[in-house]
Amino acid sequence: MATPSKDAYDAVIIGAGISGLVCGCYLAKAGLKVLIAEQHHKPGGYCTSFRRGRFTFDAAAHCFGGYRKEGITRKAFTDLGIDGKVNITKSDPSDTVITPDHTVSFWSDIQQTVEGFRAVFPEERESIKKFFQFLLNPDPHSFSRMRSWTFQNLLDQYFANDRIKTLLAAPLLGLGGLPPSRMSAFIGSKLVSEFLLDGGYHPDSGMQALPDALSERFKELGGELRLSCLVTKIREKEGEVKGVMIGKGDLLPSRYVISNCDARQTFLTLLGKNKIQEELRGKLASMEPSTSMFIAYLGLDGQSRFFPRPGTNIWFLSHYDLDKAYGAAREGDVDGFGGYMLRLSQDRSTLIALVPAPYKTKRYWLANKKKALECIIKKIENNSIPQLTNCIKYKTAATPQTLRRYTLNYHGASFGWAGTPSQLAVSGFKKPSFVKNLYLTGHWTTQGLGISGVTYVGYDTAQIILRKEKGKIIYSHG
Amino acid sequence: MIENIEKDIIAIISDVSGYEPAEIKPETNFFQDLEVDSIKAIEITVAIEKKFKISVRDEDVPKIATVKQAVDLVSKLLEQKKN
Repeated sequence: MATPSKDAYDAVIIGAGISGLVCGCYLAKAGLKVLIAEQHHKPGGYCTSFRRGRFTFDAAAHCFGGYRKEGITRKAFTDLGIDGKVNITKSDPSDTVITPDHTVSFWSDIQQTVEGFRAVFPEERESIKKFFQFLLNPDPHSFSRMRSWTFQNLLDQYFANDRIKTLLAAPLLGLGGLPPSRMSAFIGSKLVSEFLLDGGYHPDSGMQALPDALSERFKELGGELRLSCLVTKIREKEGEVKGVMIGKGDLLPSRYVISNCDARQTFLTLLGKNKIQEELRGKLASMEPSTSMFIAYLGLDGQSRFFPRPGTNIWFLSHYDLDKAYGAAREGDVDGFGGYMLRLSQDRSTLIALVPAPYKTKRYWLANKKKALECIIKKIENNSIPQLTNCIKYKTAATPQTLRRYTLNYHGASFGWAGTPSQLAVSGFKKPSFVKNLYLTGHWTTQGLGISGVTYVGYDTAQIILRKEKGKIIYSHG
Repeated sequence: MIENIEKDIIAIISDVSGYEPAEIKPETNFFQDLEVDSIKAIEITVAIEKKFKISVRDEDVPKIATVKQAVDLVSKLLEQKKN
């Protein structure tokens, strides 16, 4: 029999991903009594760093966007008073896309980016400017009109040259896990505007600095953060949440429960299959999660004149067929994918490389992890950094299984649900109608848009709850 | 009929924006008054299409900006569907 603890929380947040932390900070700042329970021993979700000997690696997220003056990440960090507490450097260029015939870069100065694209594709001179202008200042209705469009449809509207379309869409395979033919126009546009036109921000000490700073602030604001604390159930009675169970059965009573874990886990495991409607069960079963990743972590000893610019994300693709690349990635064919993203750390001590990869059994990845790692290293040697092997002091890799194990994201999905047009704006996840005061936040609510995306959702979820609270206060004071 | 459409639309707007139904009036502008942005605008359009089993044409999308405009549009589309 569970014994309710004396003091009930106003809100319990399950998961200390960036979205959970941002949401928690806003709620705590407004005076709510908030607990964040995280199953891992450090906060951050996909935004963490880990050490191996003298090397520090970013685990998955390796930079962030939306940090320009009016960007959402900047807004949240400023509102919460952590702006300036973390030393953040913006790489310039943030991203460079390289194919056998072309190289284009995304610079802090948008004009420089435009000119760079124009030099490679002079015939698309006007379209390049118009396209970036549209992305930076979209009319509020434009994406509603494009709700069923793919990113390919959008690119086709602006450009005639297939090469420029490929160069613009190649990084999205890594940032959103889909080729333009399958990615929604909205998601693709947001990824370009948030990650490529305003990306490349990185805390000097590693990505862990972001969740650490948010955690510190959360505690300063009176919030309680419990690490290595697995929530096992969301308690609900007569259609209203009552709290959460941790471990083997301590009930933590709470007026609101906010889940920063994946939608399947929230509904099927934490709430329980029998508590949810048939329609939602069907939706959960039929919706497609985003692609996972295979990430290589290389600790370097010595320098090479072939090293790329530190901090810049290099997107290499040996061909121009993004559908083929995606098909190979879905099969776990690292060689057939024909590309990678690589990033040398600012201090040139580590290098990470990633490719989209499928969720497969532990056994599969045990048997193939080493092979995939060696294949990526070989490819980087052949295309970007000759004799890289001589500089490698330490190497390891994360498979989709590793990503799942640390974050409990379904199938190690990198970006929540796959960002296809048919899954865009699917309702019912952010605020399920059948359980009062249960909310979801993070990349499983509809849009998977990296750090800036989940920051937005965390902010938005907090605002929705605070608006309700404010209504209550006004009411109780007559 | 119109009242029901209005009630359903207010429920959708409330769900998406997080504002209480009582705060949403016929003239309330989603973008100016309810902090609706591009993703929420898509959610509203998709939810309206699903709820009323209609399809909103491109040129009609900008009309989904206030409750009144949305009710008028939905009534017109439902009427067209009947005929």
